[in-house]
Amino acid sequence: MLAIEDVVTTYGAVRALDGVSLQVETGTIVAVLGANGAGKTTLLRTINGLVRPHQGRISYDGRDLLKMRVEHVVQRGIAHVPEGRGVITELTVEENLRLGALWRGDRPGSTQSMRQVYEMFPPLAERRQRSADTLSGGERQMLVIGRALMAKPKVLLLDEPSLGLAPRITAQIFATLRQLREEQGLTVVLVEQNARSALSVADEAVVLNLGKVVAQGKASDLAADEKLRHAYLGF
Amino acid sequence: MFRFLNLTLSGVSNGMIYAAVALALVLIWRATRIVNFAQGAMLMFTTFIAWDLSQQHNVNYWVCLIVAVVAGLILGGVTERLLVRPVENGPPLNAVIVTLGLFIFLQGLAGAIWGNAQAHSYPPAYSIIGYKVGDRTLLFAPNDLYIVIAVAVILVALYLMFNRTPVGLRMRASAFAPEVARLLGVGVGRLLTVGWALAAGVGAVAGILAAGTQPGYVAPTGYFDALLVYGFTAAVLGGLDSSVGAVVGGLLLGVLLSYGDGYIDNNIEGIYALLILIGVLMIRPSGLFARRSVRRV
Repeated sequence: MLAIEDVVTTYGAVRALDGVSLQVETGTIVAVLGANGAGKTTLLRTINGLVRPHQGRISYDGRDLLKMRVEHVVQRGIAHVPEGRGVITELTVEENLRLGALWRGDRPGSTQSMRQVYEMFPPLAERRQRSADTLSGGERQMLVIGRALMAKPKVLLLDEPSLGLAPRITAQIFATLRQLREEQGLTVVLVEQNARSALSVADEAVVLNLGKVVAQGKASDLAADEKLRHAYLGF
Repeated sequence: MFRFLNLTLSGVSNGMIYAAVALALVLIWRATRIVNFAQGAMLMFTTFIAWDLSQQHNVNYWVCLIVAVVAGLILGGVTERLLVRPVENGPPLNAVIVTLGLFIFLQGLAGAIWGNAQAHSYPPAYSIIGYKVGDRTLLFAPNDLYIVIAVAVILVALYLMFNRTPVGLRMRASAFAPEVARLLGVGVGRLLTVGWALAAGVGAVAGILAAGTQPGYVAPTGYFDALLVYGFTAAVLGGLDSSVGAVVGGLLLGVLLSYGDGYIDNNIEGIYALLILIGVLMIRPSGLFARRSVRRV
């Protein structure tokens, strides 16, 4: 279980996260929703250690994440999927993927993970020796997700996977997330602007506004709450 | 025609030395976006350690070379850890000032240990008497061949390390996208130390190679500063971002300077280098080998 308790993260005088608490049970998909500037991305960056909170606790299976270096968080099973822009365009597709598993120091295991990623995302297999710079938006999103999966994570933190993608490709990617959850018990924290499609794939959801949790519950309940939808989710 | 050939050959062997200095600068630029102005002083210092062993204690050439490289690796690594790391997240100018400070410090220290006034000579590895073609002597000696081969070996070794090994992949990822690399479990900080160490090691080789071509000229000040300027010019010619560019830039610079020396006047070599540097910055500021896509910062 990923436990976030009373976290306050500040940028100068701005409280990007203002006392956020959230429990993510193993094997669930939790959507983090809210408008631009609500603190969604800051939440992910605080979990993986890129920014340090002013106060609060974050632990995963009882282990304190706040004491850990960024590069060690993934080694505990928490992988981060940045937006599609997070592909390293100077490297090839295959180098991007290999990089995701280097810390495992397990060549045969990495090769097997790579084969699975290629099976999951065939377009990547066709372009494996090409520069990642040549990929389309959808393919980049596949690459960053595939690269995170190379780490054999137990938790996947996704930052706006639908950004700039055609609805059909977004649906494909969300279907993949569900499949990973069913088959491998993967836990997913899904930060999304696109609340409607995020709620359709998530089990639980939390809505942030100006750094505070304004609603929390089953995804289906939140989707049914018309007032909430109008006020914060824009559909 | 024979003169042209000779000037070209002599330019090639000097150019390979500039290329090695340029490589050292490029390695650090790629990893940290810092131009290491202390590189000239660093390779001067490691060369003097080797000189001390070689001339005062009669140690074998190759042992001295290895000692210089190891000293370079340590000096580079320590520099990154102690001097560059604290200013890493500040404005780029801070790091530049730190490298300038180190340059002055090392020069002063070397002067205090080995004396500033007197120039020393460093033995070349092989004969400096040119090869003979018929009854004419080329301006290209076994030692020049050694220089060309040594720098070529360094270039190939670096290429293989960066493109074929896990540590090379980690180093490239850290240079291109440090934040993403950390999220993927790469210890970016440690790799920066490795990068600086490696660069200073390459610089140490360049220092020894250069010293062997300058009999009676090796002093803590003077020649090694010029070497940094030439190395920097070569690196800019090649685009600062590319190892192959550094070597091509070094060769091009070496040959051009050699023509300038031979056909115009050999007392104003520094001015040719300056003209070339200004010319490149005006006509093609990103260098001959820059990536076509503009990097986002």
